[in-house]
Amino acid sequence: MLANILTITKKELKSYYNSPIAYIVKAVFLVFMSLWLFTVNQFIPRGIADLRIYFMMIPYVFIFFIPAITMRSWAEERKMGTEELLLTLPFKEYELVLGKFMAAFFLLVIMFCASLVLPVSLSALGDFEWGQIIAQYIGVILFGGACISVGLFVSSLSRNQIISFIFSALTLFLIIIISEVNRMIELPLVIGNFLNALSFNYHFEAFSRGLIDTRDIMYFVLVSGFFLYLNGKVLVFRKWL
Amino acid sequence: MIEVKNLGKNYGSCKAVKGVGFNVHNGEIVGLLGPNGAGKTTIMKILTGYLYPTFGTVMIDSKDVVDHANTIKAMIGYLPENSPLYTDLNVYEYLNFVADARHLVNEQRKERIQWVIDECGLKSVLYKNISELSKGFKQRAGLAQAMIHDPKILILDEPTTGLDPNQILDIRDLIKRMGKEKTTIISTHILQEVEAICNRVLILNEGEIVAQGTTEEIGKELKGEELLHLTLKVEDTGSVKQELVNCNNIEKVLVYEEQDKHRLKLKLSLKSHKDALEGIFDWTVSKGYKILAMVPEKISLEDIFIKLTREGGDNAR
Ligand SMILES: Nc1ncnc2c1ncn2[C@@H]1O[C@H](COP(=O)(O)OP(=O)(O)OP(=O)(O)O)[C@@H](O)[C@H]1O
Ligand SMILES: [Mg+2]
Repeated sequence: MLANILTITKKELKSYYNSPIAYIVKAVFLVFMSLWLFTVNQFIPRGIADLRIYFMMIPYVFIFFIPAITMRSWAEERKMGTEELLLTLPFKEYELVLGKFMAAFFLLVIMFCASLVLPVSLSALGDFEWGQIIAQYIGVILFGGACISVGLFVSSLSRNQIISFIFSALTLFLIIIISEVNRMIELPLVIGNFLNALSFNYHFEAFSRGLIDTRDIMYFVLVSGFFLYLNGKVLVFRKWL
Repeated sequence: MIEVKNLGKNYGSCKAVKGVGFNVHNGEIVGLLGPNGAGKTTIMKILTGYLYPTFGTVMIDSKDVVDHANTIKAMIGYLPENSPLYTDLNVYEYLNFVADARHLVNEQRKERIQWVIDECGLKSVLYKNISELSKGFKQRAGLAQAMIHDPKILILDEPTTGLDPNQILDIRDLIKRMGKEKTTIISTHILQEVEAICNRVLILNEGEIVAQGTTEEIGKELKGEELLHLTLKVEDTGSVKQELVNCNNIEKVLVYEEQDKHRLKLKLSLKSHKDALEGIFDWTVSKGYKILAMVPEKISLEDIFIKLTREGGDNAR
């Protein structure tokens, strides 16, 4: 039920914004992205507004920033014992998971939009391709959603935020760069394709070039769904322990 | 209302609850009493749907707690042990969250929030961050959370820990009042608390129920034993000792204290027939002793508790 999901989302956001974490993560993200833009900008001839390189960086940035957002979501509840409260209120598991997902997603979108002001205003000076930036934007959102699902799932396995952070970052790192193995060593085509199919980066690439492919969209939606589903299962599984 | 049958819970190899069965009827206040690690919290976690039982069933309102989790959660107000709270929220935000979760709306919502604020004395800390509250106020916030939706069933795990004496009385009073229309289960180590508010007690030890019933019922079931404090004035204390042994109303002499040459202070456990007390009186008169004090002692819940849980522990070993 949507109302239940929103109740959780609201609570999560209140918690985020009442603690310094949200602000710190946001500030660091903005500073970092601005510096990156500044660096990229130096290598781009003036007048050509291409944010492609800027967007290529995003997966690697998310390896750290998404876990920073999701690390506490379940781990903290378990540590503080509030999980017991949450699971004995009349919520269904999927409502809890989706509620937390939406909160983290909202935070990500806000953070990302804020970081976009600068490059977009820079681009406005030059030749600015709307189609491309929309594709890039959609790509980042989908990609971010999938990363959040992974982060939430990992967080549900631990009661320690730091461990949750490290393992989320590691998992994301692996899923994101697994396709790079192809570039480093010669692999049989089947395996190579398989690794590509698994990799976040591979599916993100087209978006960052400004292409929207439904297969890529499906990929990110399915991955998000899969990890959210697992997250819900973890909650139920715990009851048997 | 609540039917628990052969309920068991293992945490890995630790058998926390070993097949307990009990019923709680509508409107009853039942106390779960037991030493640390007896399984009280575990039973409550299963009743509230936080944990699934390893074996056995819990039916609430004739519905299985595992199969009808959400219907049952909606009926229950639960205060978990140590009252876990969202420390990033302030009390008001917290209550609002719970009100949302409980689907309270409009007038009713405002009313209920105001009601718990008043009843649990939260007004002064309403906009304080929960992390800054003292333990007692945290406990009150937890209680407010449990009662906000006026649930049919209240399950309170050690509701009065951390409260000051005045608050304890207030909260007990509140539970008692609320308990008139509700079915309530509380767990506690405090024996007076059970005596003060519960209709019935379940005494747990090492995952098993070792006694259940009203306080008096448990007392009777346990032993027909009655204790008597007796102070006597006698001619010569030396001769009394043998007389005591011969007296057929006395089971055992627990305390024998010669206060001076003529004054004896005794604590006796009496034989378990109902004229024992009278018999003692007649006996003292027939021996020519003078009774200075004669105080029968009811077996307190405390004695029962210690007896049951210690003995239970010994048997298990
Ligand atoms: N999560 C857990 N994992 C493993 N063992 C547990 C867990 N929770 C409780 N136990 C064990 O189960 C037994 C019962 O614990 P429980 O918390 O139900 O006792 P209790 O009666 O509430 O005790 P207390 O009076 O101290 O609150 C204990 O032996 C405890 O060590
Ligand atoms: Mg306990």
